[in-house]
Amino acid sequence: MQNVVHYLKTIPLLQGLPPAAIEALALQVLPHHLDEGDILFRKGASGSSVYMVRSGWVKIVTENASGGELVLNHCGPGEVVGEMALIDREPRSAGVVALGAVDVLELTRDTFLEVLSHQPILALDVMRNFSARLRFATTYIEKAIEWSHRIAEGDYHFAIEQIQSETGIVDRNKADEVRAVELLAAFFNMVEGVRNREETLKQQLRELSIEIDESKRREAFEEVAQSPFFKDLKSSVQKMRQRDSGEEK
Amino acid sequence: MSRIISIHSFRGGTGKSNISANLAALLAIEGRRVGVVDTDIQSPGLHVLFGLDEKQMKLTLNEYLRGECAIEEVAYTLGNGAKHAPGRGKLFDRDIWVIPSSINAGEISAILRHGYDVNRLNEGLQRVRKQLALDYLIIDTHPGLNDETLLSIAFSDVLIVVLRLDQQDFQGTAVAVDIARSLDVPELMLVVNQALSRYDFQQVQQQVTETYNAPVAAVLPLTEDLVELQSSDIFALRSPEHPWSIALRHIATRLLESA
Ligand SMILES: Nc1ncnc2c1ncn2[C@@H]1O[C@H](COP(=O)(O)OP(=O)(O)OP(=O)(O)O)[C@@H](O)[C@H]1O
Ligand SMILES: [Mg+2]
Repeated sequence: MQNVVHYLKTIPLLQGLPPAAIEALALQVLPHHLDEGDILFRKGASGSSVYMVRSGWVKIVTENASGGELVLNHCGPGEVVGEMALIDREPRSAGVVALGAVDVLELTRDTFLEVLSHQPILALDVMRNFSARLRFATTYIEKAIEWSHRIAEGDYHFAIEQIQSETGIVDRNKADEVRAVELLAAFFNMVEGVRNREETLKQQLRELSIEIDESKRREAFEEVAQSPFFKDLKSSVQKMRQRDSGEEK
Repeated sequence: MSRIISIHSFRGGTGKSNISANLAALLAIEGRRVGVVDTDIQSPGLHVLFGLDEKQMKLTLNEYLRGECAIEEVAYTLGNGAKHAPGRGKLFDRDIWVIPSSINAGEISAILRHGYDVNRLNEGLQRVRKQLALDYLIIDTHPGLNDETLLSIAFSDVLIVVLRLDQQDFQGTAVAVDIARSLDVPELMLVVNQALSRYDFQQVQQQVTETYNAPVAAVLPLTEDLVELQSSDIFALRSPEHPWSIALRHIATRLLESA
């Protein structure tokens, strides 16, 4: 029990809740165990619970255009999945699958709201928490847009510098910021990839080496130049040019 | 005095016929009197670009070379036939004459077997210049360095060597350049054709110029639309805003300026 309380206190989403509220929550959360490949919930399912990973790792998956699995993220101890269910009633935006033995704690929306209703002023805190995360995400989306523009214009240097400086100031202890780092890393890789491809293309351009075998060249020339026809031609064309330049004078 | 411009390449298929026909057309559009002659007796192709009706081409350069007719009789104007294509239709009332080679297989093999007097070719070309009061006579040559090609090169005022960005073309062009220099051709230009878009054309131009110590008049891009046309029309008149056409106009301008 104390373990659960201690664990809940580490969850960013719940920070700002007074100890009493955390303790109340600890009594209501439901533990679940998953084995490798077990599905916590599927994309598109309806659901109203949030899950907090206590141990082990899960992957967040969706489908790519051709119906294959696309892994969006991996979440481990201390991370929360399905938290949007606490506010909206939309179907799950992605599925969650266990990557090994996993222990999670389930917190239902009703329980969460119930606890909050006894702590009315804290509702604001929670909202503030959500809006901060939203703002955080929005900021990164805006930055990502700006970098994309720069990259599209071929300004890789700027993009790479920006990404590196962003990576430097991120607080690695915060799960959201770790995701931001991942986004940054993905961007960094993309920029590097695009730049390398362009470099390769330029390389191929430089590879236009014009090599001429000079001895073959001389040989081929002599073969033509030694023929009687060529010698005749050369002397008659010389006469013609002399005559032409004489006419001009 | 008219100028003779030979379009040559060491290897076949570089685009000589297309470049010859298009340059002739651009010069004619500028109001010049232009003759264009297909001396590629082994594999003629120029007449196709101008839409000359093969049945109407009763007399060709071959008949002239065999002494069966006068050179004037084998210089064809485009007339109404030109109107059938949007490009060469613009040449309808221009002063342009096309001297085709025979496409008759028997004709071709006969002339290859028995040969012909290259001096007669020379006389014919000189005569047609004067008779038609040409400003330019453009010669589309057979690839390689056979006698009639050497003759065309020798009597040229300008030699344009066409090459692709290909090692064999680089090597062959070097020999053609040496031959032209040995024959004291007054003006030598290189034209790169079928250049892939992944190359920086300016850099290509510089590199080729340095390699041969000769000016590169244009780097013409590899052009799918040109292939699709299958030599059935004059591309530079049909699609004047296409990069290939624009680059070709640079060559025409250069020829007009140096005259
Ligand atoms: N810039 C280009 N891009 C793509 N295709 C081209 C280009 N220039 C020419 N071609 C194509 O290459 C082929 C050969 O062109 P063309 O007949 O003009 O060359 P040629 O040097 O006269 O050939 P030959 O040596 O057989 O007489 C044609 O199919 C033509 O459409
Ligand atoms: Mg040809």
